[in-house]
Amino acid sequence: MKCKRCGETAAVKLPSHHAGFCPDCFELFFKRQVETAIRRHAMIAPGEKVLVAVSGGKDSLALMRVLSDLGHDVAGLHVHLGIPDSSDPVCARTEAYCRENGFALHVLRMAELGLAIPKVKDAVHRPICAVCGKIKRHYFNRFAYENGYAALATGHNLDDETARLFANVLRWDEAYLGGQGPSLPAEGRFVRKIKPLYRLTEFETAAYCFLKGIDHWKAACPYSGGASFTSHKRLLADLEYTSPGQKTAFYEAFLAKGRQHFRGEGNDAGPVLQPCARCGYPSSAEVCGVCRIRSLVEKAGA
Amino acid sequence: MITVTLGTNNTPATFEKIKTVLQLLNNLHLRVNDALVIRDGELLTPDRHLRPGDHVAIRPVVSRG
Ligand code: SF4
Ligand SMILES: [Zn+2]
Ligand SMILES: [Zn+2]
Repeated sequence: MKCKRCGETAAVKLPSHHAGFCPDCFELFFKRQVETAIRRHAMIAPGEKVLVAVSGGKDSLALMRVLSDLGHDVAGLHVHLGIPDSSDPVCARTEAYCRENGFALHVLRMAELGLAIPKVKDAVHRPICAVCGKIKRHYFNRFAYENGYAALATGHNLDDETARLFANVLRWDEAYLGGQGPSLPAEGRFVRKIKPLYRLTEFETAAYCFLKGIDHWKAACPYSGGASFTSHKRLLADLEYTSPGQKTAFYEAFLAKGRQHFRGEGNDAGPVLQPCARCGYPSSAEVCGVCRIRSLVEKAGA
Repeated sequence: MITVTLGTNNTPATFEKIKTVLQLLNNLHLRVNDALVIRDGELLTPDRHLRPGDHVAIRPVVSRG
């Protein structure tokens, strides 16, 4: 198979784009998809500082690389979860990658904030991933807000977004459908949230990392008992296989035609947000979820 | 004979009578965009031919936790 742009031997075949690309032209394709996403959804204005949520996996490191290559002012934030045998090597690898590539990286250690995930797991009687996700979202946003970043970028890709949309549609979850999208505007102490990789698939991101020599962390978190969306991703992969381009069509048509019908549902259905009495960040109760989790951990340790 | 390493699995499998990347993917029940196929540091598209003695690494792309 030949590269669609230059005629060299292709390295990547993309049935959804009816194309094959050589390494150089694939990189160009990848960057253009990100530029398109940023432009269409007004994700980053010129000169704005962007904080990238860096887990150390392929999506977040690819995001850091491509935003930096496109000339954006980026810094990474890695949340060290304090999970034995996992968090230290993930953090070390992420720090090494950022150092070698000249990316600024900040690290927040949950153990120092009274929220080491194993302790949280023992103290809170809820699925750990839901709680861990809440804690990470809180600190990513808070760090961005307190340090003057205009936007928080996450590495969600097309597969993540379509699987989530599909799950929301299966439940006709009006509030979530109204709030889903690649760019959510800033509001109060919430900074703008953007997903610049939303037009690229898991495969495309993996190929980009391989071709750019991005050495990402591949082992799964010891607490991930199989990602929750896997079965939906499988279904969508089957659909994509029989009709290439369906995933993009499904998601883009939702943005263009579907989402508007759910706008405002989130506000009506959800409780009114108020500043948390302890940390001041938006909360649906007097004390926010993260501050409540911290109290539970303190109590369990006392 | 073609030697194949799948994911982080350290014990390679061997295949006879496989002539293309597509045949190899089919054999492993993988679709075109399910995995990266790497030979000597090069990414291969499904139409590429495999030769006896080739060492191929297959890296599934589904991200985990
Ligand atoms: S798998 Fe669960 S516990 Fe592990 S990092 Fe992800 S959300 Fe946290
Ligand atoms: Zn080319
Ligand atoms: Zn709080």
